[in-house]
Amino acid sequence: MSVPILKQGDILIASIQSALSDSDLVELRDRLAEGVGRARSRGVIIDVTALDVLDSFATRTIRGIAYTTKLRGAVTVVVGIQPGVAYAMVQLGLALEGVETALDLEEGLALLREKR
Amino acid sequence: MADESPRRAAQPIGYALHVSEREIARRKEFLEFGEADVETLRALNDAAVRYADPVIEDLYRHFLSFDETRTFFRDPKVLERVKRLQKEYFLRLTRGDYGSEYVTDRLRIGTVHESIKLDPKWYLGAYNFYLRSVAGRFQEAAGGNAKKALSDFLSLMKLVFLDIGLAVDTYIHARELTMRKQQEAIRELSTPVLQIRERLLLLPIVGVIDTQRARLITESLLRAIRDNRAKVVVMDVTGVATIDSKVANHLLQTVTAARLMGATVIVTGLSSDVSQALVQIGIDLSKLNTAGDLQGGIEEAEKLLGYRVVPTLEAGAKDSHAA
Repeated sequence: MSVPILKQGDILIASIQSALSDSDLVELRDRLAEGVGRARSRGVIIDVTALDVLDSFATRTIRGIAYTTKLRGAVTVVVGIQPGVAYAMVQLGLALEGVETALDLEEGLALLREKR
Repeated sequence: MADESPRRAAQPIGYALHVSEREIARRKEFLEFGEADVETLRALNDAAVRYADPVIEDLYRHFLSFDETRTFFRDPKVLERVKRLQKEYFLRLTRGDYGSEYVTDRLRIGTVHESIKLDPKWYLGAYNFYLRSVAGRFQEAAGGNAKKALSDFLSLMKLVFLDIGLAVDTYIHARELTMRKQQEAIRELSTPVLQIRERLLLLPIVGVIDTQRARLITESLLRAIRDNRAKVVVMDVTGVATIDSKVANHLLQTVTAARLMGATVIVTGLSSDVSQALVQIGIDLSKLNTAGDLQGGIEEAEKLLGYRVVPTLEAGAKDSHAA
């Protein structure tokens, strides 16, 4: 299932609605990396509120997105990691180092606004 | 020994220990308690009925001569009733049929002992007293046939040891239940997450942190971050006496998990001893935000959240000055 990417001013919002296969994730990465340049975005928000699991591949891909968009001039914020997901991630040693995080979409937008 | 009021006996004992038929059979096997023993004991019943009263009288005279056991029988009415039940308890030993009903009865009595705080030492002492006082009477009943008296006595011993095994189990079972309840109570008490300002949580950690508790702390913190929409958490470890590498890793995990939810954690109250120990064991806490004490942590957190705390007096003076 393809993830919808919304454009809100100079921010791209990728709202993940259901569990993603590895190829869906790779596709999301490619579209965001490309979209950031085309839309001249300053920030990217990846909303994972609906996910009840983030495995190592997903974590690695999201980190890849964050580093890639950074090189293209946009900050990526991951929002909506649920308590259970966060706990499972640290147990697996997946810490999303170097990636901004926020509680939810609203917080993510506020964070990007601060960074302006 | 068999102290129990009819009221208490009528109450279901909520946490009764269950011993299965198979388990009973296995215990008897191990004691080599067989049909022959059942027959022997049943044959002794008449004699037992005859000497029951004098034995009870001896036993209670013994009980009453010790302060520790006397306290259980202050009320003469209680004493009379307990004697009656005690007699019943002993007579049950020679009545045959030592199946699950017998076991249930013995377990129930053990639970009663635990609930009135009659320690195993008194129970065991009393049982020993009983055995000694019946030993002589067995000899009389056997008409000087020492061999028969001994074999009768050994059959009784097997059953008595079955009883004791069951009683000890109930004591242990009851203590374990108490311990489990207390552990739960401590655990519930010990992980409060407090909101001290809009979007600012305080997590005071007191006592020993093990894996299970670390998990509970982390879970309740993460839930609180979501529910209170917290952005900053001050984690105070003043009350944690020692932090080893395991505990430090638990704390790091908690900090990382909070960060994944968009919250910053400031750790406060790392004492000089703890800090030195952490450096010594080489744990990298450089990713951690720390402040010297709780006050410093809260001030830091307020700065992050954009609060500025001004004493009202000073603020008022400034206002009037401006006016």
